[in-house]
Amino acid sequence: MPERTDPPGLSNGVLLRLAFRNVRKSARRSILTASAMTLGLALLILSRTLADGAHESWIDQGVRLGAGHVAVQGEGYQTSKSLDDLLSAADLDGAVEALGSPQFESRVSAYAPRLTAPGLASSTGSSVPVLLTGVDPAVEVEFSPLDDLLAEGRYLEPDDRLAAYVGEGLVRRLGLRIGSRFVVTAADADGQIQGQLLRVRGVFRTGVPDLDQSLVHLPLSTAQDWLGTRGGVTSLAILMWSSRTAAAARRELRDLLPSRGVEVLTWTETAPELEAAVKIDDLGDWVFHGITLAIVALAILNAVLMSVLHRRREFGVLRALGLTANETGRVVIAEGVMLSVISGLLGIALGLGVVFGFWSDGLDMSFLMDQELEISGSLIDPVMVPAFRIAQIGWSLLFILFIGISASLYPARQAARIDVAEAMKFER
Amino acid sequence: MNQPLSVRTVDIWKTFEAEPEPVHALQGISLEVAQGEFTAIAGPSGCGKTTLLNVLGGLTRATSGEVWVAGSDLEALSERRLARLRLEHIGFVFQAYNLLPVLTALENAEFTLLLKGVDRQERRQRVLALFAKLGLEDLEDRRPGRLSGGQQQRVAVVRAVVGAPAIVLADEPTANLDSHASDDLLRMMEELNHELGTTFIFATHDPRVMERSHRLIRLVDGQIESDDVRAPPAGAGSG
Repeated sequence: MPERTDPPGLSNGVLLRLAFRNVRKSARRSILTASAMTLGLALLILSRTLADGAHESWIDQGVRLGAGHVAVQGEGYQTSKSLDDLLSAADLDGAVEALGSPQFESRVSAYAPRLTAPGLASSTGSSVPVLLTGVDPAVEVEFSPLDDLLAEGRYLEPDDRLAAYVGEGLVRRLGLRIGSRFVVTAADADGQIQGQLLRVRGVFRTGVPDLDQSLVHLPLSTAQDWLGTRGGVTSLAILMWSSRTAAAARRELRDLLPSRGVEVLTWTETAPELEAAVKIDDLGDWVFHGITLAIVALAILNAVLMSVLHRRREFGVLRALGLTANETGRVVIAEGVMLSVISGLLGIALGLGVVFGFWSDGLDMSFLMDQELEISGSLIDPVMVPAFRIAQIGWSLLFILFIGISASLYPARQAARIDVAEAMKFER
Repeated sequence: MNQPLSVRTVDIWKTFEAEPEPVHALQGISLEVAQGEFTAIAGPSGCGKTTLLNVLGGLTRATSGEVWVAGSDLEALSERRLARLRLEHIGFVFQAYNLLPVLTALENAEFTLLLKGVDRQERRQRVLALFAKLGLEDLEDRRPGRLSGGQQQRVAVVRAVVGAPAIVLADEPTANLDSHASDDLLRMMEELNHELGTTFIFATHDPRVMERSHRLIRLVDGQIESDDVRAPPAGAGSG
């Protein structure tokens, strides 16, 4: 005798048909719920892309003024900050040669050798502590944002010898002007205090008082001769097209460079305070997103639960006709998923539409800022340009689906646990 | 009565917890209903008619006693198996029709067949044959909201019988219909009972239903007061 089998019950096709018809039947409720989800997702996408864009801008500004997305340095320099731990001329050449290989071609935007030392800038009137950076003017213009912030004079040029590019804060403190001479002193590679006469060729203005008072660019060759580094530098700063490729580039460079005497670090190691600032801001954003999405989830929960409570008789009928408790719950979840998918797609379209509106010009937040802002040595651009990533959109969609399904679980449980006899009596 | 049994109950009790004291809606009901019977359960409001139908249909469980439907002991079945037993062996017709508002008349009528996995062609064939018999031609694509009460109840009857269940439980099926529609509906159910051998059990106040039933069980205070068999079940004479 053949074994008796149960009928198949609720197929996915019937489930989807019921869900779609119910969503369509309660059009007003569905539209209101979907609107909440659509706006929530659009807000999430806009907010995430703007935050990502802003963070990428912070990182970009920070690494351009700092040690790059990836820095090749002498071993131990990151902690000692001493000219005892220089990157030798031979290691510098080796690193430059490695960067010329095809594997970096598409990812590396620019690289610049730098010799950085803390020192003192003095004129006849006063002295100010500064951060002296010897740069190669030919490559630095591709790298640093300082040449674009020119207030007076000009940036350094390859033929310059005793030239300096300084901030307007320093000019004011030392009573300088274009063409003025001043003296910088710093400890050289042998630990001896050495002085160097420089002439002001250009003045920049970042708007950040600390930067305008402390940064001094001078020609790399002048700095090397003055500090006796014999062609050595403190770092080879490497700028990537995207900060996300920094970790991979570091791994590959480490494989190509000698393991002794050379360190390859990413910006998260050379500027941990910048990474912390990005993470803290991100955390704040996600708390905000969490609150927004919790409100959206409650709106969905309310709408779906009300729908279930108003349809007790209908769920009772489904159970009477032979649906199991689980199948009845699945009908409710399918409605939540359907609403979420429709809202998710609309939300993505709306979010991307708004993002596209800010794509070229960005969102100008300068009206909120009295003066230029700086975080961890990074200038904050008041214009937030969104950064679009496919993965981010995918995650946002998954997130809204998760919320839609989660918010449907309790109503689904209520529908599944319905007392059929009571539910049928309910509408009498 | 030589027909196989559709329903057998042994000393069933159903008690609802209530204040100040529990309500005993069914008090020791023992009953046998053979296949093909056209039975009415009558009695005053609150006598336990609907509760008895709910227990027989597995919509609620008896507090004690045995309930056998189509050879299965309902009290021994899990909720899932009970749901599947309803799907396979029990059809329901409700006072309020209870069609699914988002489905058309045709989709409502074929719903249980869909759940049973019957293919589309056979579903349509079976439903349309019954639609033709019950005068529902050309109404297949209408939603319940665009059908009269009588039409909705006829669709509900098709839904109840199209899967050839062992038993159809009808709770006050004529309560919301006028006399003409009630007569039509009863005539149709009599025909289905006669032609398909489907067992019908009605809970009713309606004298017309009582008059046309082959067996009339009267309940009072959750107990059987009388059980009057007036005619043999459909198909009893043929076999």
